[in-house]
Amino acid sequence: MAARLLIRSAVRAATTCRAAPVPALTRGMAAGGIPTDEEQATGMERIVMKAMKEGADPYSMMKPKEYAGSKADPHLVPSITNKRIVGCVCEEDNTAVVWFWLHDGEAQRCPSCGSHYKLVAHELPH
Amino acid sequence: MAHQAHAYHMVDPSPWPLTGAIAALLMTSGLAVWFHFHSTTLMILGTILLLLTMFQWWRDVVREGTFQGHHTPPVQKGLRYGMILFITSEVFFFLGFFWAFYHSSLAPTPELGGCWPPTGITTLDPFEVPLLNTAVLLASGVTVTWAHHSIMEGERKQAIQSLTLTIALGFYFTFLQAMEYYEAPFTIADGVYGSTFFVATGFHGLHVIIGSMFLAVCLLRQIHFHFTSEHHFGFEAAAWYWHFVDVVWLFLYISIYWWGS
Repeated sequence: MAARLLIRSAVRAATTCRAAPVPALTRGMAAGGIPTDEEQATGMERIVMKAMKEGADPYSMMKPKEYAGSKADPHLVPSITNKRIVGCVCEEDNTAVVWFWLHDGEAQRCPSCGSHYKLVAHELPH
Repeated sequence: MAHQAHAYHMVDPSPWPLTGAIAALLMTSGLAVWFHFHSTTLMILGTILLLLTMFQWWRDVVREGTFQGHHTPPVQKGLRYGMILFITSEVFFFLGFFWAFYHSSLAPTPELGGCWPPTGITTLDPFEVPLLNTAVLLASGVTVTWAHHSIMEGERKQAIQSLTLTIALGFYFTFLQAMEYYEAPFTIADGVYGSTFFVATGFHGLHVIIGSMFLAVCLLRQIHFHFTSEHHFGFEAAAWYWHFVDVVWLFLYISIYWWGS
């Protein structure tokens, strides 16, 4: 009996239309009856979903981007206000983190290793 | 909406942790009152408060996630870790009872007749109802996987049918096990055999009932369109719990019913 059920569901799975590249209007409720996130996600989940689709990361969920830290390629530090605390681990495996305030304006340098850091404005979705 | 700069969920103040703690206090002290003063009032009051707490707390989680959208990817990840850690703690809980069983059965004492099963114990035939129970739970594992795939593929009707079938199989198991308990030729008071048998299978049965309730809530939510084809962690958590219950039964069957007979 289980085999028959499995075969039946496998056949349906093989013939049913799958989620990914189909526009929202033609699947979901019309197709099988279960909504998609595109149709039903709300609140913060929806904001994050939309941002991720565009490749944006407004809530800093991903690892920060890597920069050389030189004058020409400073670490870009997003901030929702005009200053942010930066903790520089100058060399890999350093246990003493160098903390300092990074202010809006010209790039600042880590007092220990001299890497360049520049504050950039970061917009939160509202 | 977004006054926070992070994707996590800072939960609003809630009374349910307090009511849950009070319920735990009333249940435990009520148990002691029952033992010493033959009154179940306090314990029953505690149990009612516990049920109310669970209902309202989990209702709030559904509201926060499904209706308010607070369950972003990092929040969901945390919930996944939480469920995995909880199930792991339950594994250790059962490990204790298996330890007790093997301790007693691998080196049976002279009081038992130096043998296992102990002298005077008529064990249940592992190839009768216990084997049927094994088939029932294994089948329910298949149907719950069917339900999961149905949800992911947007098949509403199949999801509801397979989930209902899973719950029905769970109830069938509970019914069969209840019949076995009634008809068993030995009781919990029959030495260490009775103790290990009924405590291990009894807690397992309780977990089957809990798992069935969890799946039933998922069925209600599925009927009310809570789950999407991508986001349905409540269902996944119930399915994980159900598979765990199934695996525990397999160990019980092999150890206590089969090897121990």
